[in-house]
Amino acid sequence: MERFLKWIEEKLMPPMAKLSEQRHLRAIRDGVISTLSLIIVGSFFLIIAQPPIQSLAKAVAPNVGKIMVPYRLTMGLMSLYAAYGMGYSLSKSYKLDGVSGGVLSLAAFLLTTIPLNVDTFVTAASKAGVQGGKPMGWILPMGNLGGSGMFTAIICMIFAVETMRLLQKYHVTIKMPEQVPESVARSFEALIPAAVIITVLWFIRVWLNFDIQTTIMNLFKPIVNVAGNSLGGVLVPVIFITLLWSAGIHGMSVIGSLIRPIWLVLLDQNTAALSAGHALPNIAVEPFFQWFIWIGGAGATLSLAILLCFSKSEYLKRVGRFSIIPGIFNINEPLIFGVPIVMNPILAIPFILGPVVASIIAYAATAAGLVAKVTVLAPWTLPAPIGAFMATGGDWKAAVLVIINIAVVTVIYYPFFKVYEKKMIEEEKQSEVA
Amino acid sequence: MMKVLMVCSGGMSSSIVVKAIKQEADKKGFPLEIKAVGTGEFDEELKSGGYDLAIVAPQVKHRLSVFQESAKALKVPVEMIVPMGYTPIGAPKVLEQIKKHAK
Repeated sequence: MERFLKWIEEKLMPPMAKLSEQRHLRAIRDGVISTLSLIIVGSFFLIIAQPPIQSLAKAVAPNVGKIMVPYRLTMGLMSLYAAYGMGYSLSKSYKLDGVSGGVLSLAAFLLTTIPLNVDTFVTAASKAGVQGGKPMGWILPMGNLGGSGMFTAIICMIFAVETMRLLQKYHVTIKMPEQVPESVARSFEALIPAAVIITVLWFIRVWLNFDIQTTIMNLFKPIVNVAGNSLGGVLVPVIFITLLWSAGIHGMSVIGSLIRPIWLVLLDQNTAALSAGHALPNIAVEPFFQWFIWIGGAGATLSLAILLCFSKSEYLKRVGRFSIIPGIFNINEPLIFGVPIVMNPILAIPFILGPVVASIIAYAATAAGLVAKVTVLAPWTLPAPIGAFMATGGDWKAAVLVIINIAVVTVIYYPFFKVYEKKMIEEEKQSEVA
Repeated sequence: MMKVLMVCSGGMSSSIVVKAIKQEADKKGFPLEIKAVGTGEFDEELKSGGYDLAIVAPQVKHRLSVFQESAKALKVPVEMIVPMGYTPIGAPKVLEQIKKHAK
């Protein structure tokens, strides 16, 4: 085990860390994270509109349309916000103007959707006696601007910002005389990139009539399906995240940045199904990991924190006391570095094994329909049973599953904890003698 | 007064450690101002703050080179926190690390 941990630190970690620090992936992560506050708030409106209790659902039914507006304009336009945020971050990383990069990326993304004018249909329908329709001018279909457009947004963003960068690198820009204010000069600098980006995408989308959105979506469909609806889709991120943490690296910040776009697509599919009244399609969405597996933080360490509080080792007891409260709110760095778990061959085993078993239990319970699938992105610092209850749109059985998982993981930690405790007590005795 | 910026992944866990370090410094009578941020805010905060030292939480050591790059321009030294120092009871160890950079 010791050699294995060394191997992780020396062989697995550097390429993974490098990958997560890769410029484009970092931009994607930062851009996507910038939309999370909107998604968290937006998804709560969905739950208000679709409460789990029958009587409440009846009460809000007349106003569902109104309640859903914030949801539609946040989650329903998720990729639009992300396109700007990612473009901003990527240009910043190249030391280019962030706002210009964000705007160009947004424009590139929007050019993949064609505006419609349905006024002729509306007029014809009104003439035929259908009530309530009136001409509305040009409208933009929203279907591809939410989570399902995320991959298109990513590709358009890279195309837009790289175009801007290359044109500036080879000095294909309009330079203004020095007297011109900087903000004006900057908008002129973005002129040629904008012309290139718009013309290219317009040509592909409109003249070649190539449906960029659908093509990219189909390309990513197999990956999304595997990630969302297979045990492998749950276990692979869990194992990688715990392996990295046991070498002392923030696993979630590395792996999460790679998978989060996929998780958002999956979440969007679930919320869309919920608002349409269909069965939810996906199991392994980010909140699933957060509430059923990372109970107390990565490695499901709340269980270990409980054991530590009752330890006979003075040192471990102290660690337990200061990590139990943060642990309830899913902050476990004090525990991970205090015990420590990092590079600790004894405790690394349950640190990986516990979450794996918790994943299997949670996956089985969800797949069997015992626990509802997740739809809400609740803030990650909530205590896990409450978070699980909220994330599933108010399924009390989800909170029970969390408690079962805490108990199971505690049993897994126990023998390893005892071995380590014995070692610590011996060391403590020796230092007393000395 | 020495001004120190600590960076961790989200700025959550470091705020726990920062509190402990501040208490330790007060106890020892060491004039210290210390703030915790997440990786995303590090750049801006370092630029605006006039810091004497930046310390990096162990779990984000894979981003050390990025932090060093932004700190180099501002001539702020960057140091990794020793792993066992990154806990409330590890505060004395980190304070020792900080003191080494005191002017």
